[in-house]
Amino acid sequence: MHIDPRKAALSVLAAGLMAAPAFAQDTIKIGVTQPLTGAFAASGNYVAQGAKIAEDEINAKGGVLGKKIQLVIEDNKSNPTEAVATVEKLIVRDKVPAIMGAWSSTLTLAVMPKVMEYKVPLVVETSSSGKITTAGNPYVFRIAPTSDMEAVAFTPLIDKLNIKKAAFLNTNNDFGIGSAKAYSEALKKKGVEIGVMETMDPKATDFSAQLTSIKASGADTLFVTTAVEQITLVLKQAKELQLDARIITTGGSNSPDQLIAQAGSAADGSYHVVFFPPWFPDVVKNPEAAKSYMTEWKKRGHEPGGMTEGFRGYDGIYTIAEAIKVAGKAEPAAIKDALWKVTVHGVYGDIKFTQQGPKGKESGQNVPSVYLVKIEDGKVVNPEL
Amino acid sequence: MDQLLQHAANAMIIGGTYALLGIGLTLIFGIMKVVNFTHGELYSFGAYMMYAWVMLIGADFMVSLVLAVVLGIALGALVEFVLLRRLRGADIDTTMLVMIGAWIAMQNTEQLAWSGVAKSIVSPFPADPLVLGPVSISWTRLFVFVVALVLIAATYALIQRTKLGKAMRATFQDRQAAALMGVQINSIHTATFALGSGLAAAAGALLGPVFVVYPTIGDSASLKAFAIVILGGLGSIPGATIGGFILAFAEELGAGYVSSGYRDAMGFLLIILILIFKPTGLFAQKERIG
Amino acid sequence: MTNRILSLAWVAFLISIPFWMEDLYYLHVLIVTGIFIIAAMSLNLLLGYTGQLSLGHVAFFGIGAYVSSLVSLGFEIHVLPNTTVSLDPKPVWFAMLVAVIFSGLCGWFIGRVSFKVRGAYFVIVTVSFAEVVRLVSLNWMELTQGPMALNNIPYLTLGIPEVFEVEFIGKVPCYYLVLAVAVFTYVVIRRLVQSRAGRAMIALRENEPLASSVGVDVTRVLVLATIVSAGLAGLAGALYAHYVRIVDPDVFLFIYTVTMVIMVITGGKGTLAGPIVGGLVFGIFPEVLRGFQVQPEIQWITYGVLMILIVYFLPAGIVPAIRSLLPRRLVEGGDGSVEPNATAEARS
Repeated sequence: MHIDPRKAALSVLAAGLMAAPAFAQDTIKIGVTQPLTGAFAASGNYVAQGAKIAEDEINAKGGVLGKKIQLVIEDNKSNPTEAVATVEKLIVRDKVPAIMGAWSSTLTLAVMPKVMEYKVPLVVETSSSGKITTAGNPYVFRIAPTSDMEAVAFTPLIDKLNIKKAAFLNTNNDFGIGSAKAYSEALKKKGVEIGVMETMDPKATDFSAQLTSIKASGADTLFVTTAVEQITLVLKQAKELQLDARIITTGGSNSPDQLIAQAGSAADGSYHVVFFPPWFPDVVKNPEAAKSYMTEWKKRGHEPGGMTEGFRGYDGIYTIAEAIKVAGKAEPAAIKDALWKVTVHGVYGDIKFTQQGPKGKESGQNVPSVYLVKIEDGKVVNPEL
Repeated sequence: MDQLLQHAANAMIIGGTYALLGIGLTLIFGIMKVVNFTHGELYSFGAYMMYAWVMLIGADFMVSLVLAVVLGIALGALVEFVLLRRLRGADIDTTMLVMIGAWIAMQNTEQLAWSGVAKSIVSPFPADPLVLGPVSISWTRLFVFVVALVLIAATYALIQRTKLGKAMRATFQDRQAAALMGVQINSIHTATFALGSGLAAAAGALLGPVFVVYPTIGDSASLKAFAIVILGGLGSIPGATIGGFILAFAEELGAGYVSSGYRDAMGFLLIILILIFKPTGLFAQKERIG
Repeated sequence: MTNRILSLAWVAFLISIPFWMEDLYYLHVLIVTGIFIIAAMSLNLLLGYTGQLSLGHVAFFGIGAYVSSLVSLGFEIHVLPNTTVSLDPKPVWFAMLVAVIFSGLCGWFIGRVSFKVRGAYFVIVTVSFAEVVRLVSLNWMELTQGPMALNNIPYLTLGIPEVFEVEFIGKVPCYYLVLAVAVFTYVVIRRLVQSRAGRAMIALRENEPLASSVGVDVTRVLVLATIVSAGLAGLAGALYAHYVRIVDPDVFLFIYTVTMVIMVITGGKGTLAGPIVGGLVFGIFPEVLRGFQVQPEIQWITYGVLMILIVYFLPAGIVPAIRSLLPRRLVEGGDGSVEPNATAEARS
């Protein structure tokens, strides 16, 4: 990102003479592609803020391999084609040896052929679609849980919540469709009736039509899968239409504190699947990592509601930094091999990768914890189930 | 049936703000012959002003609404004075290119000022809706509807009953004759653009608390306004009013009974149908420009 | 004659670029710029030569991208409850050909419908058309994958399979491909505007009633221009799809039409070199700004302001302005005196 124009001109003119020492710089660059504008902007910015906390912490402790790390953060505008363009820039222009991104499943799936083409490892901090780690792309390492993992973790709660008839409202992208598929299958196995399955465009803001038909279907529980902006609107509009079904949001990009702040009493009674519960930091596997992250997040004055999202970026950068340390050099192939060996004591839990996908070209998949929280009277509580 | 009533109620309420948007655009086109690509930016400006006053400064909701509209009027007057005054008499394509440039600059200024993250505005109305039999309507939306109707009525009164309105109508019918009769065309243009912009800002300020506010909300507002004025015929205020409600019903019923994904396509499908069967729009009073 | 030598020198320079420019990123910038220049050249045919402000041009670009991708990837859709339509993957060159033809047909259709109206109506109709196509691409998920985008689009290969094949993968082959198509487009448009039909276009741009009174079939000429323009835009879109290898519904966004419009009017509408100059300015400008660490928003604000300034002060664009400056300088011995009349003349 920080090209000196004179240097750029020089490199154009004299590129032939310079023996292009691609990775020999005084800093180690790490590429980040996140949706900083567009439909998923809130979440993307939180992840980028979390990533910057990790960058500063690592550099304060002396960096990696005696060098400071430097994040190159590109905005993929919540759009798959833009996401590909950012990865192209990060690899070809900035010559980063590893990338973290791209938040949404659709964005991640879009950039996967690019990282394979250039053989640069991609650490996936958020996306949940099963397709990502089963596509046979050996450069993909996901620390976030898949929708299937979520659904499996959720299964014991189906009886406890006494769900009889479920409805779905999800974005019509890989994230929403993948989640609805995983949860509806888990519910069917438990004998729950599946009512209407409605979708929405990731940019839509008016869901009255969908909610009206969900209300008419008589479902007792509505599963909602999208980013926090749309969840806020769904909660508000569900209340306006007096939808009395219990609302459960999946995917972990729901920022419950932000919902309380922005949807007010419309958020009461809703349940949320999250991957990090900052309200009860003692239940997580590595409380020290969690507390260090939370303290810094608060100190920087970031939006409190973003804490359940920002840790993904924080853990993602720590994972890449650890892999560089294990590799002993900041080169894509070495980092890729090292990612198989790392164990990071992160906020997600102990991050380590197991093989998933077709034999011979497996992707890495981490197995993190999943939590269900409830909003009651404007507060996040651990539901007594 | 219950579902149909609910859809109809939703459509009526959104229709009011659509009509505001349409009237603003059609006024500007009718009197100034300018296709105003900044219309949507005035809409998002209104919404962001609402956010700034209510959420950042903590002003009263009603006071903020008035401020947002007044600031929208001021911004509109400024745009007219700085950009359009010197282009009077220029052809329609030239002014359109200038307005497109202004649109890009304004939208990105907004993004720079407010970031790309969507903002929510908390409304002071009770969260529990008003329930009328099978239909439930939130108090915020009801408020939006009533204010929209008041503003539409006020605009009609202004055009029909005041001296300014008379001068505007005269300019609309025959600019040269009006100028000869002593109408200050420059002032009329500034007033028209300011009024149209104020209506767009009002629509944004009203719908901001219902939905969320982000830098590109103006784009779909512009497109809807275009669809509405084509439906009603460019330059026709009653056409824009009715066009706003027609569009809202088409969208709501289309989304409810056909496919929610094609909600935004309804307006354009109507445009294409109108173009094939009644190219002057449903309520055009004058010959189209050509 | 000098003109021809200049053109050849210019093409030779463009051909030489990959030999000395080793930073692939700059080549990437040139490829994307080249694709947009092709699109801008096609828009110039409508905007510059027939004088119709078509603001739905990106629709043809996007249709070209989608059609070429779908034909080369293959698809299967259910049209009626019991009827499926399916297509096996076809070679990319064939897909691109289909894309050009299909875009041209869309141009014909839109030309027939929208040239019934002029002025503001025409503009809004063309904008609406692009928006409808965007919504279809967003919602017809079985065909287009909607917001999930069409991914893994194959790259172009030419030649006889297993005997001799050129694969257009990587920056250098793609650069030459785009350059070849750009030259082709330039030649097609040049031929067209210098033909009888081209003179008819210019005539009706200058004075439509007069042109039609002397026997120019206005609608026919306009529709012909739209078909050629749409086909070439579709070709640019197909190139784009097989280069970036992903297409999503945002390819139809209005902002891309605006980018093309800015390129054309900055360079000079109604001149052959205009879109090339404008395209190079706006293709390379962002990279220069990035060098100064300018945020993308500021870059776009600059575009918007620049567009307004050009309409005010250089309404004919860069190319005519330079042209009107050059000979006088030569005549006056190049004293570099300011030419206050240049813009005023261009505007009148």
